[in-house]
Amino acid sequence: MTDTGSGHDIRHHFDELLAEIRQGAVAMGSLVLENTRRLTDALLENDLDRARKVVAADDEVDALYISLEQGVFEVIARQQPVASDLRFLVAITRLLYEIERSGDLVVNAAKGLLMRDGYEIPQAIHGTMARTSALVADLFGKSIDVLADLDGSAAQWLDRLDDEIDDLVGELYTMIGRSSDDLGFDVGMELSRVTRYLERIADHAVNIGEHVAFIVTGSFPGHSSATTDEG
Amino acid sequence: MNDVNVSLGGLAGYRSGPTAGPEIDEAVFTIEDLSFWYGGFRALRDITMRIPARTITALIGPSGCGKSTFLRTLNRMNDLIPGVSLSGTVRYHDLDLYGDEVDPVEVRHRIGMVFQKPNPFPKTVYENVAYGPRIHRMASGKGELDDIVEQSLRRAALWDEVFDKLDQSALALSGGQQQRLCIARAIAVGPDVILMDEPASALDPIATLRIEELMYELKETYTIVIVTHNMQQAARVSELTAFFTVDVTEDSQRTGVLVEYDETGRIFTRPSQQRTEDYVSGRFG
Repeated sequence: MTDTGSGHDIRHHFDELLAEIRQGAVAMGSLVLENTRRLTDALLENDLDRARKVVAADDEVDALYISLEQGVFEVIARQQPVASDLRFLVAITRLLYEIERSGDLVVNAAKGLLMRDGYEIPQAIHGTMARTSALVADLFGKSIDVLADLDGSAAQWLDRLDDEIDDLVGELYTMIGRSSDDLGFDVGMELSRVTRYLERIADHAVNIGEHVAFIVTGSFPGHSSATTDEG
Repeated sequence: MNDVNVSLGGLAGYRSGPTAGPEIDEAVFTIEDLSFWYGGFRALRDITMRIPARTITALIGPSGCGKSTFLRTLNRMNDLIPGVSLSGTVRYHDLDLYGDEVDPVEVRHRIGMVFQKPNPFPKTVYENVAYGPRIHRMASGKGELDDIVEQSLRRAALWDEVFDKLDQSALALSGGQQQRLCIARAIAVGPDVILMDEPASALDPIATLRIEELMYELKETYTIVIVTHNMQQAARVSELTAFFTVDVTEDSQRTGVLVEYDETGRIFTRPSQQRTEDYVSGRFG
């Protein structure tokens, strides 16, 4: 095997740029994770101040998104990446999109609370909603760890965690349906929307794991492995 | 979090052995266990690969990896160097290229070569192209020779630029035109294969793109094997890429080896060998 250590000096600057982009994506993911937890508290405690903070915090996420995308385009244009570098840069643009969309869904839920001047989540639903949002935040946080570590084998267990969330989401829809008379149409709809946002954030987290698997192995989980087969 | 300088490629699960190579239907060259020596120096070790017809195959690798030596074994150009020897076989279609009955001059007629530096003869544009067909007695008269010259210059995408200066010195042409003239000269004798040893490395970017476009057209008719230091060029023009490198043996002997041979798209997006990844991503060599 070649000693790649000496080779790194040749493209040291390029490696630094790639590392900066990855660290930026992780930082962006961490901001969205923090905002997801803030949203959970705002919803469960009907806290409008927190909801306003959720909305305001997204500006930083959006700014980071734009600057990272710009950075990726510039590196592609100037460094002619190939092989795993190219896979990383292509996948990272998708990854950034998954993170940015998750951030927007969090903001949508916060805006729903603000538009209604707050609403109380009924006791019957409160516990399941709390558990679902905690699991979603946990899954999203894990996907960002997977990105930070470039763990190409995580996609499957992230998907299994998502199955648990999907079950809870199903329960929530049933509960909201049963309580629709007490909730009223508007709040019932809003809680359905929030449930849907949580489910989608979990899906984005699973996608992040798949993009990381592509970066590392050259193929998406479930497709035939491109580089790991024994020749 | 990984260390800042860790190559992303290092994380992939690479195969450890040599690769099987691409699927090839009709091979023009079949090379088996080829080793090559300059005196006591073994420049190539155990090269086995098949090169398909009407395809552009690129040979890439760091200096000293033997890729140009390998290219020259394909038309016995190395025969001209004293003290060389080789083992293994190089088959051109069904012919053992190094068989006793083979005439190297006839081989080079079928397997033409274009060099790094344009090297037109110090003669007219016309004479440069007419020279080969004339010595091979390919034309029965002036009219037929004129046709061969025009056809060759057209195929080399040079006719429109030189049709009114056929009797001028070839050395008055630009570098890019001179290189296309050398390609026309190679085409004129009706080859089957064109070997190109860094054909664009002495040219500016526009002239380089012209040569690349030309290669793309020529592969409809000819089998092209190109050695290039320019990896983007290999990525742009070739369908297949072979990566050679220098192996240092236990007794500190350096020798050229074939590391990976596959479809170009694969070599540049998901190579199966770590050494290929390091080279194409610019981290080694």
